[in-house]
Amino acid sequence: MTPQKSRTELDLSSQTLVLDNGAYHIKAGFSSDHPTYKECRTFPNCIARTRDKEILVGSELAQCNDYGDIDFRRPVEKGYIVDWEGERAIWSRELEKGEIKCNPKETNLILTEAPNGPQALQTHSDQMIFEEFEFASAYRCIAPTLNAYNDTRSLFGDPQAPSLEALPAEVLLLVDTGYSHTTVTPLFHGRPAHNAIRRLNIAGKQISNLLSELISLRHFNVRDEPYIVDEIKEDACFVSTDFTHDIEACWSGNSNRKDLDRSVVVDYVLPDYTNTYRGFVRPHDSSRAAELRRLGLSTLDQPKEDFFPLGNERFGPPELLFNPSDVGLSCEGVPGMIMQSLSTLPEALRPGLLANIMVVGGCSLLPGFVERLDMEVRKRVNSDFVVRVRRAEDPVRSTWLGGARLASNRSLLRQHVVTKQQYEENGAPWTARQFAGKRGR
Amino acid sequence: MATGPLRFRTPHIEELPTAQSRQSAGFAWVPVSGAQDDPAKNWGTTNRKRQRQSTGGQTDQQKEAVSARQQREVERRIKDLNSDNSKETVEIPKKPGQQPSGGAFKIGKTSGTKKIMSSGKSLQHHLEDEQAEIDRTGRREGEVDAPAPNAQRASKTPLHRRKPREDSSASNSPAPAVSSMPPPAIPREVVQLDDSDGDEESQLPGLPSAAEMEALLNAPPLTYAQARASSPPPGLPPPRRFCETCGYWGRARCLKCGAMTCSVVCKDEHDQSKCLKMYA
Repeated sequence: MTPQKSRTELDLSSQTLVLDNGAYHIKAGFSSDHPTYKECRTFPNCIARTRDKEILVGSELAQCNDYGDIDFRRPVEKGYIVDWEGERAIWSRELEKGEIKCNPKETNLILTEAPNGPQALQTHSDQMIFEEFEFASAYRCIAPTLNAYNDTRSLFGDPQAPSLEALPAEVLLLVDTGYSHTTVTPLFHGRPAHNAIRRLNIAGKQISNLLSELISLRHFNVRDEPYIVDEIKEDACFVSTDFTHDIEACWSGNSNRKDLDRSVVVDYVLPDYTNTYRGFVRPHDSSRAAELRRLGLSTLDQPKEDFFPLGNERFGPPELLFNPSDVGLSCEGVPGMIMQSLSTLPEALRPGLLANIMVVGGCSLLPGFVERLDMEVRKRVNSDFVVRVRRAEDPVRSTWLGGARLASNRSLLRQHVVTKQQYEENGAPWTARQFAGKRGR
Repeated sequence: MATGPLRFRTPHIEELPTAQSRQSAGFAWVPVSGAQDDPAKNWGTTNRKRQRQSTGGQTDQQKEAVSARQQREVERRIKDLNSDNSKETVEIPKKPGQQPSGGAFKIGKTSGTKKIMSSGKSLQHHLEDEQAEIDRTGRREGEVDAPAPNAQRASKTPLHRRKPREDSSASNSPAPAVSSMPPPAIPREVVQLDDSDGDEESQLPGLPSAAEMEALLNAPPLTYAQARASSPPPGLPPPRRFCETCGYWGRARCLKCGAMTCSVVCKDEHDQSKCLKMYA
């Protein structure tokens, strides 16, 4: 059982499938010599039942036209694959006839998961990969580590590395805000400092749910339409850099007399599935005629449309990322979490991490997120520290791209991967230790 | 006078009537602590808030009831936020026209995978299982270098024969017996294990040595509960409250249900549609 010796003899198959298993979307694709974002396929990680009782698995969801009254089943909870029955159905559909058609027996797999998961779920994943799907070899890692293999130097404006051999990045503080949670992970040469990883259970899903609650209470019941609320969030929400100013702009005064500030308040028009299939944003129209039309009392012969104004609903829910206490959660927001994570590390490492904060994940696409995070982190550290916060080029697929770049470097890949044969010889606990980085110790 | 099972004489006690004993009044004068508000200020006040302040404060029971209700509200809110909006479990479609192995395909190829796929456990179950495992054996599944349970027992070896024990407790997973301790305690120990003179002495903190870095990176991962961001330090401003109706700053609290509203208009709205529902 000497992994060192057998590693050089490993003959990996040529194809590697990189699977970034998220709670909302799966980002998957095959790596190549020079991977680009184009090779990454994104499809929903869910099984959905539409209004007409039709069941759509994974990427079949794109075929659906009517997103009203749709019911989802998500196998990934809080970043961990819990419902393997569902996940297996989605994976096997994609592997057989979907976006990532391949034969698992001849493919290497790189699978991501969230940090700090229950050990049992990790061994379940290994078992499923090797016994059910029978991949030739696999590497299961926590999602943040793959980002270290990205081109972080050009992201931060540092001088280019002499060659590709400079991977992975030396120092990186990764903030990953996805759908189900947000994590802060300090990485050194691509390896995480486990004691400093922090997680916050506020991210896309909670923001959407809060938005849906607010809209349902104030304007229009959208509680049964999570898909439409997600679209509203993507279209209209932003992170405010001056919360007080924005909230004043949305207040209609003591007797609803003050005029609302157009730059912040907008109208959102819902799709009616006959003419329009997707909602859109429109500047707020606070005239009386518009008010009547909204309530449906208009006598004018105009096409009936459902719309409602969005004021502090635009920036209130995203504010949760920075102030979870708004909703009653007694934990710190993302900037506080970064400080907590840094406080567990030796002082000497902190400046390096502060100067290399990389933000990935769908939620970081919210306008104003990076600026606000930059501002908040600067407030909490001495002014002589350099603070650089950058969002990856494509935050949703950045982790995938890191994995693809890792896979394109065969010697690196060989160091990390465990083959099916090794799994069968050495068993699941050994495999789990290998994946956790304890090689030969 | 001792009778029965008592083996020694109990002293005999009898109350003698003295000249000073008289009928007790049924009440006693007790010194009152704290300045009492001038009762004239509170006459006829229907303001329950001031009443609560003046009449010696709420009893602990009342305070608990109010805060328990608020706590339940907050928890309900957070649970709503975490909900997945799924009404019933969506059935996985059975693929028609599959080969005979199609049956096995659905259930799982090996016994291990069959068990995994048919288990209906949710994440909460797994987390609780792991916590129970840690409490029981002091280590997580898959970790070799965990302390044996008797490492916690008071050592019976005499002092001069005891070997230094710091290593065993510091290099192990943070889980055993320190699950209530905050994680920051561990890395400091880990760092001090190795070159302890590296960081502490110099003014400009030098980069940790390779050995320290290895120790840092090889530390076992935290459990789910330990990794969650902890509460903010005390002394920060209290959490901001918003108006329930419109979302502006909350300025006035509804006496019945405790919800904040910003203005009279919003408060009327609240009274009509939201207050009674919660109260009834």
